[in-house]
Amino acid sequence: MMELLEVAGLNKHFGGVHAVKDVSFALPAGSITGVLGPNGAGKTTMFNLLTGFIRADSGSVRFDGCSLAGLAPHAIVNRGVARTFQLARPFTGMSVLENVQVACLAPRVRHRGKPRERANVLLAQVGLGERAQVEVDVLPYGDLRRLEIARALATSPKLLLLDEPFAGLGVTEVGPLAEVIRALHRSEGLTILIIEHKLREFMQLVRNVIAMDFGEVIAVGAPAEIVQNPRVIEAYLGTAPIDA
Amino acid sequence: MLQILVYGAVISSIYALLAVGFTLIFGVARILNLAHGAFYALGAYGAYTLTANAHLPLWLAAILSVLLVGGFGVLMERILVRPLRRSMLAVLLITLAVALMVEQVLLLIFGSEARNVPSMMDVTYHFAAVDISGQRLLALGGAIIVLICLWLFLQYTRIGSAILAIAQDAEAAQYMGIATDRMYSIVMGVSAAMAAIAGVLVAPFQTVIPGMGLLPLVKSFAIVVVGGLGSIAGSIIGALLLGFSETIIAFKISIEWSQIVSVAAVLITLVIRPAGFFGKRGAF
Amino acid sequence: MKIDWLAAVLALAALAAIPLVFTSSYIIGVMTVAVCYGMWAASWDFMSGLTGRDNFGHSLFIGAGAYTAGFLNVEFGANPWWSLPAAPVIAVLFSLLMGFPTLRLRGPYFALAMLSAATVMQNLTIIFSVYTGGQDGLNGLFPILDSTLAYYYLTLAFLAASAVLLKALANSSWGVILRAIRGDEAACQAAGINVTFYKIVSLAISAAIAGLGGALYAHYQLQVGPDLFAVVLSINIIIMVYVGGIGSIYGPIAGAIFLNVLTETLRGLSEYRLWVYTLVLMLILFFLPQGIMAPLWQRLRARLA
Repeated sequence: MMELLEVAGLNKHFGGVHAVKDVSFALPAGSITGVLGPNGAGKTTMFNLLTGFIRADSGSVRFDGCSLAGLAPHAIVNRGVARTFQLARPFTGMSVLENVQVACLAPRVRHRGKPRERANVLLAQVGLGERAQVEVDVLPYGDLRRLEIARALATSPKLLLLDEPFAGLGVTEVGPLAEVIRALHRSEGLTILIIEHKLREFMQLVRNVIAMDFGEVIAVGAPAEIVQNPRVIEAYLGTAPIDA
Repeated sequence: MLQILVYGAVISSIYALLAVGFTLIFGVARILNLAHGAFYALGAYGAYTLTANAHLPLWLAAILSVLLVGGFGVLMERILVRPLRRSMLAVLLITLAVALMVEQVLLLIFGSEARNVPSMMDVTYHFAAVDISGQRLLALGGAIIVLICLWLFLQYTRIGSAILAIAQDAEAAQYMGIATDRMYSIVMGVSAAMAAIAGVLVAPFQTVIPGMGLLPLVKSFAIVVVGGLGSIAGSIIGALLLGFSETIIAFKISIEWSQIVSVAAVLITLVIRPAGFFGKRGAF
Repeated sequence: MKIDWLAAVLALAALAAIPLVFTSSYIIGVMTVAVCYGMWAASWDFMSGLTGRDNFGHSLFIGAGAYTAGFLNVEFGANPWWSLPAAPVIAVLFSLLMGFPTLRLRGPYFALAMLSAATVMQNLTIIFSVYTGGQDGLNGLFPILDSTLAYYYLTLAFLAASAVLLKALANSSWGVILRAIRGDEAACQAAGINVTFYKIVSLAISAAIAGLGGALYAHYQLQVGPDLFAVVLSINIIIMVYVGGIGSIYGPIAGAIFLNVLTETLRGLSEYRLWVYTLVLMLILFFLPQGIMAPLWQRLRARLA
């Protein structure tokens, strides 16, 4: 059976730095997987390669049976792969609603209903229903994170890539956001890939973990195993052990 | 042939002075300084006023003029440019406003007739059937010396390293405690001073009129784009390329065609290799 | 919304009434030129004001349109009416030529490339003087209409049509996307939008209207010259946009008309004109970056509603 996402031998150099080294993994449809690794492990670079923002030196990415090689980012989105960014990137100077509206105008979803109406529904799904008319420039960070997810959802993806969705969130904000993600996974049947650092909520959210360090995949397995994996612990040497 | 070589070298060295100054302020502070030509003109007019009206010896007038223009550059950066730094368009427009103002002031004070600045070297040399004025050779030599001094300054002084650091990565430089704002002023001062030096060096043999800064601005811009915004080596190489190709075309074809070289080069570069031929890709 | 269209109709009526009140042909001339500038300013604003991708060479399209009119009318003896469809087409071609390579990239490349393209064209028209008349340009264009008053109304009609088109686009989902491009291009890509396509098409629309304005201008002045490609023209237009209120479409039109009238009024003080311009520019940049006209209208409208 073909997996939804099949990555094989992905490589990327930046000058002398081998940022992503021979990365291979597969995501079954409907799975929720985490990518773990210290700063500089190549996680975001890998995301950028998967979503077309950077071109890989070698390797293949197959989504739903088709290769994504050489496609522009917007084309990949229109195939059904959506992503959020590590640092929230709202469309400044526009309202929350308009931000999601833009994504509703993507060719993939443009004719699925009036953009404004869809946008309102999506905002409600992530808990931002009340804040539709607020200018994003004054939106608190936690809400910006939710906005990112709403925008990604707007393109009706089959695969959702979340880059550190919990970064910068206060202790009280993490739980609710994890719930939102969990609910989306259940209701939409999305396949989700999340990058995060060590985090209790994250480990409870995902079924499977891909651990990376120095651009390579160093371990793959269930959260409980990964936490015990000596190579993973070594990668985090100097920081407190992960407790799950 | 020798004539082309010498004239080409003189023009290239002056272009290099102008272009390096232009690329410095752009590479470091992301300021597209449309007043660069104005600094050049002010340098020339400064030398003129100080010799003709204040009766200072030429060498003193030259130094004073350069220092004054450098100071003016710093003032412009601090008062006019700094508050607008967020928007590149706003900075462009304000430097344009300065350039226009300067031209108007010069026109008001000195009128539109060309002014005469005495040569520093009133000698004419003869090499193998070619006449070359001493002043032009002085310009060539002066420009080279200034460029070498600049290089030494950037490589071996603390301020110089700070400037290079900012040019590479302004944010990182700030984290390292470098006072980027103050550096921008310094770089603008240096850039203005270099333009002024160029103006002073060529004043004896170029037409000194209020609008004299426009063409050098366009050329500096062209060289910097071709060489790579922010690349000093690129600017020097670009200056050589432009200076020599203009001289060759002017001699062999026509002056009009030589004027198009610079702009055509810009267009081609932007379309084929936008970061410039020696610039870092993604310098933005 | 209704109040905006009402105000627009009133403004149009006012512009139409001016030559009926001040009947001198001099005034009609000034207003015709001002209307052309209005088209140039509005078209610049549609592309650069909305997307934030500044175009420093708008005069490329103006000159292209004007010279198209010149060639068709003077060199080929075509009926002057042909200039009106032909000019936008040529201008659009130029925009595609420039847009494809440069709009893919981030950074100031597009802006600088436009600047140099306009200057290259200016130089080329001077160099190939055999075909283009060099510095003197092409003379002896025929007017489209014999009455200058009727021609003013024609250009005014084109301005109104352009304004309606551009504003409607700006208010539609097209405008939402353009503003999102200004907000964050990468995020726009991540939202599934083909950013380059929208930029190129918007530039083409901008070019078409600018080119049309160029042709209208040419058939008013009855001559075209290399100055129509000059950087000065591009910069003047940007200043008008700033004064009017960047991003509003109608603000730049108001700014264009205002500054044209202002410069004409100051024609007597010819040396001080540049001072005034520069001072206005500095004032706007430092104290009124949102412009004058658009914010004024927004305030007025809030009072009335």
